[in-house]
Amino acid sequence: MLERFNAYRIMWVLVFFDLPTDTRKERKAAARFRKDLQADGFTMFQFSIYLRHCSSRENMEVHQKRVESLIPEKGHVGMLSITDAQFGRMKIWYNAEEEEKEVPQQLELF
Amino acid sequence: MIKRTLYFGNPAWLSVSNGQLVIKDPLLKDYKDLAEKARIPMEDIGLVVLDHQQITVTQTVLNMLLANNAAVVVCDDRRHPTGMLLNLNGNVVQAELFRHQIEASEPLRKQLWKQTVECKIRNQAAVLANEQLDDAYLLELAGKVQSGDTGNREAQAAAWYWPRLIKELPDFRRFREGPPPNNLFNYGYAILRAVVARSLVGSGLLPTLGIFHRNRYNAYALADDIMEPYRPVVDGMVLKLLRRSGVPEELTTEHKGFLLNLPVTDVILDGKASPLMAAVQRTTASLAQCYKGDQRKVLYPSLP
Repeated sequence: MLERFNAYRIMWVLVFFDLPTDTRKERKAAARFRKDLQADGFTMFQFSIYLRHCSSRENMEVHQKRVESLIPEKGHVGMLSITDAQFGRMKIWYNAEEEEKEVPQQLELF
Repeated sequence: MIKRTLYFGNPAWLSVSNGQLVIKDPLLKDYKDLAEKARIPMEDIGLVVLDHQQITVTQTVLNMLLANNAAVVVCDDRRHPTGMLLNLNGNVVQAELFRHQIEASEPLRKQLWKQTVECKIRNQAAVLANEQLDDAYLLELAGKVQSGDTGNREAQAAAWYWPRLIKELPDFRRFREGPPPNNLFNYGYAILRAVVARSLVGSGLLPTLGIFHRNRYNAYALADDIMEPYRPVVDGMVLKLLRRSGVPEELTTEHKGFLLNLPVTDVILDGKASPLMAAVQRTTASLAQCYKGDQRKVLYPSLP
């Protein structure tokens, strides 16, 4: 029943960026880029690393295109998309203790 | 794409920030970092169920959910779904489609109803077959459905189906106000109705104008009609739930959580497996094509 949501179909889009913040214009553009990413559903993983959970490949392509349209004039931006299976193999430590990632579910009970 | 279903069974404070639905604990709502439980992109949401008397929702939340064609189901103090919120402007060509809907000829409507009832009975037969029960009678009835179901095969099928469906309860009678497990069926059907109504609006159709039963005092007559062939999917899920946890006096979060997987339960549409929510969208899109005169057959599912 839930085969459709297997870890090879669900995708994560990661965006890494290094934007200059010397002039006021550059700072504004950097802030704008961050805000736009968040408006598109990206969450901050670390400073300058944002990620978005996408429930299908098609959905992933939509968000990839959106990010491309948002790239600021100056700075270094990288975009990487991986499957949920690959993402699941990531290990995370906080204060030297291993942490579990929070993964969005199709059905969430609050 | 499969949209997400959010169920709120506990107090919550819902607001929007930068296109994201922000869910806060109302007891801590003034403590920004502690209070926030989750942030979910609005555009990923397909269905929201509000099931607690202490949920607060801002206007922007409702606006944006509707703008993203999400359905909002509201429950009363007895935790029964009582109503739903859908957008009025679901589709750019809807004015044109409404006109087609209103002007639909009687032969077309009778044809559509015949297809609907036939498919419903076939799917009821499939549920019985999955239970290792005899489905021959229902399959035969399905073949005998006439235009407009003038022979009322739907009622004949129901009279055969319900007493036999639940082996452990041979005296079971299906009606809304009936004793448990009718409550499970009611809940499942309410979710199904919301999913169907949302898709109808998304396809540019008025959920109020039914195919055949047009004189109902019912704002969702068409949703009630189109959901018929999907009802057996709910029936199958309720059977599983009954086997797992017995007949419930009251629905718990576990029961509701199980039934809320309905939008992602697989059905077979056009020879391929598809999650129910996506299948319903294709059904309503094909219905719009029928109203426009571009085709005569509605795309209905069968059960795996």
